[in-house]
Amino acid sequence: MVANEKATENKNISIKREAAEKRELCFEDEACIGCGICEQICPVDAIELGPMGAIVRGELDASKINIDESKCVLCGMCSVGCPVEAIDFTIDGKPISEIEEYPRLIRSISPEAENCVYCGACDIACPQGAIRVMRELPERAKLVTGEIEVDKDACISCGMCEDMCPADAIYLEENIPTSSNPEIATDIVIDKDKCVYCGICKRICPEDAIKVICKACPYGEYEIEEAEVKGDLVVDEDLCINCGWCQEICPKDVFEVEKPFEGELIINEDACQGCETCIDVCPCNVLSFPESSESGQIASKIQKDEKYCIYCGACQNVCATNAITVKRTGVNITPTKSKAWKKAVDSLKFSDEKAGSSSSGAAKAKSEGK
Amino acid sequence: MPKHIVSGLNYLAAINLRKEGYLQKEIAEALGMDRSTVSHYINGRNISWDSIEIAEVLSKLCPEDFLKITYTLTKDTTKTRIIIKTLKDFNFRPKVKDSCIGCGLCVDTCLMGAVELNNLKAQIDSNWCCGCRMCESRCPTNSIEILEVEETEGL
Repeated sequence: MVANEKATENKNISIKREAAEKRELCFEDEACIGCGICEQICPVDAIELGPMGAIVRGELDASKINIDESKCVLCGMCSVGCPVEAIDFTIDGKPISEIEEYPRLIRSISPEAENCVYCGACDIACPQGAIRVMRELPERAKLVTGEIEVDKDACISCGMCEDMCPADAIYLEENIPTSSNPEIATDIVIDKDKCVYCGICKRICPEDAIKVICKACPYGEYEIEEAEVKGDLVVDEDLCINCGWCQEICPKDVFEVEKPFEGELIINEDACQGCETCIDVCPCNVLSFPESSESGQIASKIQKDEKYCIYCGACQNVCATNAITVKRTGVNITPTKSKAWKKAVDSLKFSDEKAGSSSSGAAKAKSEGK
Repeated sequence: MPKHIVSGLNYLAAINLRKEGYLQKEIAEALGMDRSTVSHYINGRNISWDSIEIAEVLSKLCPEDFLKITYTLTKDTTKTRIIIKTLKDFNFRPKVKDSCIGCGLCVDTCLMGAVELNNLKAQIDSNWCCGCRMCESRCPTNSIEILEVEETEGL
């Protein structure tokens, strides 16, 4: 009888069965968001979601899921249901995402990099650190035009211009006066790469030793070349979970995000006890507590912005007071000819009869097989 | 002794295959034997009639036992398939329900190589199905039903 082989490395799990074909499942703990969809879709109850609340709060150092290799039949449903590709499944080395018979969640991020102005908002907002914006700014000297000159004979080296210069463009080479060189400075240097010809030095100089002309004012900006910001926008699609933060925050509509699930996130504010575990577990930064208005004041109940929600259900799983319901109404997935797989995909959708029990979907599919 | 039983099984299979119209050469290839041995068998010359008697008893056992014993004796799936297919007494109509998830456990279990997956669903070739029902018992979703049928009609 062919048996499964299980291997665990750190918190990653791999299970394989080698016979007529080689089937292999690899769970990558780092990528897992703890949503529990794998547990829900598994037709043989082989997957158990760990205590996500304790794990995200760092109270427990454990793998986010456990797979019972004696129950797992290596069907691949967990891999197909996983919205973050934390479970890779291959048959004879080929990922099932590339095998047409298997359905595949439709999710994507498409950046139009040419519209990007490298503001960096997406980089800051992305909850998964999947976006990097690198930029190269033009030289400041190329964006100004003017002339500056110090009459070194008139300069008394008082250093007021150095203190006032907003661009740190003036530097006095100081000197301790001696009988052989009774100066307090040996030179005054203007760094023309830094000077913006603002004229403050001229105005502060007690001896009128500095002459500054900003040519941009009298002659307009024709002499100045257009500021060109070069940069690079890099999106790591393996890390992206399609939350849509980049799409919402980008001022230039660079991003288009397709989400794997549709639905509704319902929060029962009366039931919420404010433990914040949902905030810790949410991979999309959908949830937050508002700042309290004054110290000692308890913040009002949890806030959500559903724009960023992927309806993964991680928050619902960790909520100790059942204050959150994730009503998944749609699964964006490529079609399959298998009725059992269609049914499994449908079991991810919310239905009233299985409300309140996360594993009943799989149990239902099993009982129907009998 | 096990070798004798195998030759008994080979003997019965060779006789049956000849009746089905196969040439000696084809029979020799299918069972992995010399042509001369096949010729001997077909002409009624055999090593030991006791072995043939045991082989006959084996072939009348329940299909799962017959299959497992034959495989244990021959240690060869190709030979096992031919012997079982040739000597099985009944025909079977395998049915796979829509609840099949295409996990492939049946494919790995079937010693007859009768199962393959098609569109995430098992497909069982009734020509090769020996009725051992190991796939049925291994199936995690209870999606397989093996029915014994009188004739090959309707398959």
